[in-house]
Order: sequence, then C-alpha cells, then structure tokens
Amino acid sequence: MAAPPARARADYDYLIKLLLIGDSGVGKSCLLLRFSDGSFTTSFITTIGIDFKIRTIELDGKRIKLQIWDTAGQERFRTITTAYYRGAMGILLVYDVTDESSFNNIRNWIRNIEQHASDNVNKILVGNKADMDESKRAVPTSKGQALADEYGIKFFETSAKTNLNVEQVFFSIARDIKQRLAETDSKTEDRTIKINKPEGDAEATTLQKSACCGS
Amino acid sequence: MRREEASAAAAAAEAGTPRSPDLHDLSDDSDYAAAAAASSSHSAMRSDLVDQGSGETAKVDVVYEKERVTIHPTQYGSGRISGKLRLYLQQGSLFLSWEPNEGVDSLSSNSATMEIEKYRNLYTIKALPLSDVRFIRKHTPTFGFEYIIIVLSSGLAFPPFYFYNGGLRELFATLKKHVFIIRSDDDPNVFLVNDFQDPLQKSLSSLELPGVATVANAMSRQNSLSFTSSVDEARHGSDAKHGASSSMTEYVSKQKHRSNDPGRDLSIQVLEKFSLVTKFARDTTSSLFRENHSSGGHTYGRQQQEYVLDNRANDKYKDQQITPDKDSLLSDSMESNKILAWGKPREQPLSVDEWRSFLDPEGRVMDSKALRKKVFYGGIDHVLRKEVWKFLLGYHEYDSTYAEREYLAVMKRTEYEAIKSQWKSISSTQAKRFTKFRERKGLIDKDVVRTDRSVPYYEGDDNQNVLVLRDILLTYSFYNFDLGYCQGMSDFLAPILYVMEDESESFWCFAILMERLGANFNRDQNGMHAQLLALSKLVELLDPQLHNYFRKNDCLNYFFCFRWVLIQFKREFSFDQIMLLWEVLWTHYWSEHFHLYLCVAILKRYRSRIIGEQMDFDTLLKFINELSGEINLDRAIQDAEALCDQAGPNGAACIPPGTPPSMPIETDGGLYVQEDEVM
Repeated sequence: MAAPPARARADYDYLIKLLLIGDSGVGKSCLLLRFSDGSFTTSFITTIGIDFKIRTIELDGKRIKLQIWDTAGQERFRTITTAYYRGAMGILLVYDVTDESSFNNIRNWIRNIEQHASDNVNKILVGNKADMDESKRAVPTSKGQALADEYGIKFFETSAKTNLNVEQVFFSIARDIKQRLAETDSKTEDRTIKINKPEGDAEATTLQKSACCGS
Repeated sequence: MRREEASAAAAAAEAGTPRSPDLHDLSDDSDYAAAAAASSSHSAMRSDLVDQGSGETAKVDVVYEKERVTIHPTQYGSGRISGKLRLYLQQGSLFLSWEPNEGVDSLSSNSATMEIEKYRNLYTIKALPLSDVRFIRKHTPTFGFEYIIIVLSSGLAFPPFYFYNGGLRELFATLKKHVFIIRSDDDPNVFLVNDFQDPLQKSLSSLELPGVATVANAMSRQNSLSFTSSVDEARHGSDAKHGASSSMTEYVSKQKHRSNDPGRDLSIQVLEKFSLVTKFARDTTSSLFRENHSSGGHTYGRQQQEYVLDNRANDKYKDQQITPDKDSLLSDSMESNKILAWGKPREQPLSVDEWRSFLDPEGRVMDSKALRKKVFYGGIDHVLRKEVWKFLLGYHEYDSTYAEREYLAVMKRTEYEAIKSQWKSISSTQAKRFTKFRERKGLIDKDVVRTDRSVPYYEGDDNQNVLVLRDILLTYSFYNFDLGYCQGMSDFLAPILYVMEDESESFWCFAILMERLGANFNRDQNGMHAQLLALSKLVELLDPQLHNYFRKNDCLNYFFCFRWVLIQFKREFSFDQIMLLWEVLWTHYWSEHFHLYLCVAILKRYRSRIIGEQMDFDTLLKFINELSGEINLDRAIQDAEALCDQAGPNGAACIPPGTPPSMPIETDGGLYVQEDEVM
C-alpha cells in the first residue's frame, strides 16, 4: 500500500553508474548513443576526455537511472579517464570483432580496472560491430566467450548499427548490479544504513521493508 | 571653394606674376630634398624665361593622368590618401606629379583630420623631373593592387603608390615614349631610368638637346654663384649637384628661422631625416614608416582613430581629447591599459589593403606587434589566412622577404617528401614486423574519418582531402616518432590543411604548432596537468568565490575543462569560429596563455548558474560539455581580455615557465623522453 506514494515522489529507485572502456574506435560512443537516444550515425567524432548520458529504465518493477560514462579510448588519456573508474558500479569492456588487437587489449583493460576500480565492480564483455561481413571478422564468437568465461563475466556480441543486443547488454549488467545492491541492502537492514538515494528516512525504511518482502 | 582656388591659381599664372608661384612651389616642395632642389632649379628656369613672354610659361602638355593612385602612410584604412598621378611635358622635359584629392572625410574627428592633412601635404609631389629618377620598381602582388616604388638618383625613395584603378602598363608605355628606360638585367621588376652607362650614348643624348643643356648649365652656374662662397666654389668647381645641395641647405636654414608652424616643423624634421638616407628603397621605406610610428603626433592620431572606432562617449576620453598634448606623452603601456580596461570591442578582420601596408617592398613585415594587435582585435580576412597564419605560427619569420619565403617553400617541400617516404616505403610484409607502425596507422585511419566530416572540404566518401589529412599525420608520427600520434591532433590539423590547401605547408605549420602544444599529448599528460593547475590558480586569483565553490565540490582538478584545453576549444565552436579564435590566440598579443583566461571568462560568465544550481562534479561536467556551440565567442574574447588585463603580472605568476603553449624548457640536452607504452 505504501509503495505507490513512495515511487510517486522519487525520480528513481536506484542510480547506477556505468563506464564504457575499450580501445579507440571499437564503437563505445555508438553503443551509448544507440542505447540512450535510439540512434546511430556513421559520422561520429572521436571522444576527447569524458562525457556521460542518462537513461532511466524499469527493471523488475524498479526504476533504475543509468548514468553511462563514455571515455576516450586511447591509452594516452588514461591518467584522466582512470580518475572516473572509482565511481563506476559497472564497467562494459568493449572490443571490435573485426580488430583482433582490440580484443587482445581487453586483458590490459581488465588490469587497468583491477588497479583503479572498486573491488566489487560488475564487468561485462562486449564484442561490437557483429553486423560486419563474416569475411572481415577477426575474432570468432567462441574466443570472446572463452575470455569471458576465464574472467567469470557475461559476454555479448552487439551491433550499434543494427541495434543487435544493445538493450540486452545494458539491461543485463544493470540487473546484476541492482541484485548486488539489493543483497547489500538486505545485509545492512539491521544496521539501518541509508541507501545512496535523495529520499528521506521514511522512504528508506519503506524501501527496506519492500526489499525484505522481496527476498 | 575649390573652383575659386583653381581660378585664383589660373589667374595668377595668367597674370605672369613670377614671385607668388615661386613661393608657393617652394613651400609645397619642402617635403623632399631632391624634389625641392629640382623644383628650385625648375623655378629659376621659369623665372628667367618670364622675360621672354608669359605665354611660354603656361605651356604644359599632360601625357598621362590617373586617378585613385593611393599611398598608405598608416596601417589604418582611414589613413589611406588617394590622389592623381600625372606625367607632363614642359619645355621638352618630362615631369611627374602626384597630388592628393581635395576634401576631408566628414566622419573623421578634427584631430584625425589634422593628422591626415599632415600626411597629405607631406607626400605631395608638385614637379619631379624624370631626369632625377634612378629606377622604378613595379610590384604585382598575388593579392591587392599593383604598386610602384620610385627611387631617385640620391637613393631617396617615395612611398609605394598603389594603383587602385589600374593603369600601370600605360604608365610605363608613356614613360618609354619620353625618357630612356630599360628593364634591369638583375630584376625584371626594376626599370632603370636615364641609365647612360655608355659614354657615347651619353654624348649623343646631350647633343640631341643642345639648347636645354646649355640653359641648364647656365642656371647651375648662377645657382652656385648665388648660394656658395668663393672658397666653396674653388674647392668643388662648378659641379651642378653641389650647387643644388648648397641651395637646399640654405633654404632649409631659412625655413627654420622663419616659421613656428608645428606642421612645418614636423615636415622639416622628416626632411632632415630623409636627407641622411642614402640606402635603397626597402630601407628608406622601412625607416619612413618606423619613424612615423614613433612620432608623438602619430601616436595621438592613432588614439583618436581608436576612439572614433570605439564610438564611446566617456568623461575620461573627453578629458583626454581636451588635453591632446598630455595624451601624446602617455607611455605605450599606460595608453594600452587605459584604452583596454573594459575589453575593446571586436574589429573588422585584417583586409588585403591593411596587410599590404604592413609589408615593405621586399615583403618584410615592418611592425609585427601592430600586425598582431590588428589580428587580435579583428582576426583575418579568409583569403589572407594562408599567408598570415605562416607568420603567426612562426613558419615565416617576420623579417623574411618574398624571395626568402619562396626558397623556404621549395626546401621544405623536399624535406617533407623525404620524411613521408620513410613510411611510404614500408611494404605490407615489413609492416607485419612493425607493430608500432601498424598501431599508429590504425589509429590515424580510424580518426581521420571521424574528423570534421560535416565541413564540405572533408565530407563524402573517398574524399581526397581526408587522405591528405591521413598522410600528414602519419608523416608527423615519423617526424616526431617519440611523440607519435594522439587523438586531438587531427582536430588541430584539419583547419590548417583547409587554410593552406597544400600538403607540405600544412605539415610544417602543424609541426611548428606541435612544438608548442605537443606536451598536451605526452603520455604522462604533464602538459595538460600544468595547464589545468595554472587554470585553477587563475580562477583563485580572479574569482575567489567560484574557486571556493569548486574546492567544496571536489572540482579542483578542472577535468571538466580538459577538452577545452587539450584542443583549444575545437569542439566548442563552429569551424569558421575556431579559425578566428586560433588566430587570436596565436598572436600571443596579450599572453601566450590567453586560452586559459578564456576558460576563466567562460566559467565566470556562467558562474551564477554553476553556483546557483549547486552543481556537483557530474552535473558540472555535463553542463560544460553541453555548452558546445552555445558560447558567444566575441563576448568571451572581450571578457578574457579584460581578465588578462586585470590579472596583470599576478596572472603571469600563476603560470609556471614551460606551461604549454610556451616553448618547452629544454632538459636532458633536449632529448624527448617518452617511456614506451605498456600496452
């Protein structure tokens, strides 16, 4: 009964910060544009520095506000871009299926994450440009899957151009993060620690009850 | 009014009153020693001939006449003086005259009018015998109007005459009919006049005009007797040149004692300076403009013009106008500070005519500071960018000549092709064993197709200009292998290639720019960190409240300004606007780091929203990024100028030496230390 009034007063139930990383030119910005604006363009510009876009989705009855950060892919900018790793709850590691070196560099990107990101950050592997002609493919699907299995993370092949699996990627990592946050909520219920939201105490109490009922 | 004056002059001539015309001629011809000497001789001749009948003195046969022949005494358009050039025959000799147009622009202030009138009188040529001319140099520049430089036998040169209505070809055709004139073997643009090197030719020429020669000689002797003591005569004989010189000296001396007129005093001062000049055209012309720029009267005139352009009604300025002498005593820096205290309004771009007025006959920029000031306040007309950017960037030295620059272009093209061949010669087989080359080429290939594709010059598939962009960047990555390629470099190169429309010249301009901005792209990003730190200090100095706000909200790294600084606002303004902004920055007129003051100006412009909406870092970053395309460039430049002035030396102290785009401080013998990438 208390649920409708609580939702009516809040913009969202959870704020989730995601980070897109990967070599330059693999399509990070195109993935973000497709997901946030539903559009695609072949005449994109290189990302200088960092920027983010916002989209709010509904997941299992909860409103999730996704703040998705897009970074310059060139290694040279890491001293700037790694400053944003700490705040990320989830990281999408993107490579280009037509560019073997971008796939090989995923290991280096994961090492970067281990150095600069939170310990419990969620990760997902994304092989973009899957719409390209098979003759141009340089990384078989099986190799992508194998790397993901090695690190124990999920794997998707996507196409920002054809909108293949784009929604699935973002929903998948968002669901995993939300679940992790919910579990954290349950564990801390007795200590009445506030969840990272602008709502007041009453809202927190209500949400905690809701979480308890959910579990 | 003018007709009455003309009638009066005609009446005087008809009346045959020799004294009055003589005085008038002498007065007007005081501007030039040689011209005055010649005119003196001419007047004497005419005076003597009056006895034979007044009808003969009136015989003048105009054989060439051209209007809109203009001189450029100052770099301001309003300072141009248009006039009429004539060639006329009198008593078998050919004379040249140039007289400025009558009337004054009613829009000018009184003081500006006085200034222009000085130049008008200073440059008038009443009657110059072609026999006194050594050579005439013709210039047909790529941009702008044809012009000539007339150099006298004494080495003195008149300022350039620009032919706004053409007619240069006819001028030389007419000259050839009446005087001996040949093209110089050394320089096809130089026409020698009266070059009688062959003794026989000289004798023949004399024999053709026995009467005139006799009369001239007689007059010379009389002049000598009139103006020199017997001792001088004994020492120098009856040399006509000496006689003329002595006559001139006597005349100048008399003028000094006779007059208190400030304008006349200035003329005499200039005349005395000119009498010391014995060099060829380029030095004389350079001295002419340099001396005029440094004179107090000129400084005052320039101030007046600036006030007129400003259209400001202000008590301070009124006071200054009331006491002009006080103004002329102001130091340059004081003057500059007062005028610029509120950030001057933007001006018109540097025009073709203005650009020409900055150049001496051989192409040297005579006053680089004045040029940079003009560009700072108005930018550059697009057709001139290709030429002027080379100076602003430092590819061309300001004191280089046309010839030197043409030679440089040839040498540099050869050098560019040599560097380019380094990567062109790498076969696909070798590339397989050259990982770093493949990586760089891959990055560049991806980035050039993502650079300014909405600009027509770079749009569409298979665009040749995109390929040139790629080739230049790849060549640069070999030219500076340690720095290599980094994203953002294509953002700098694209407008340069668009302006230069030449692969080699674009490469060298880009390479020189990277000498200053390469540190932005260092792997350790030390150049960027230095600039962002300096920016933080400038904000603290110029807006402590905003600084404190940033400190409380964990924004002191200024990463939200990263894109502004890395590629100097390339993504924030349109393509046309960015060309204007960069040429303003490249003048280094106020500061080599003017772009940092621009950052402060924009942040201050939006401070009420930033603080009012209590933006945290994320919101601030989003806000700044979305200002792209929304910033008023002219206002931002004016604001930045005011801030730069306000900060003064304290602002400069916030910026450590070597902070880009200052030239890097040399360490380790200049070796470029870059650790290899881990990846």
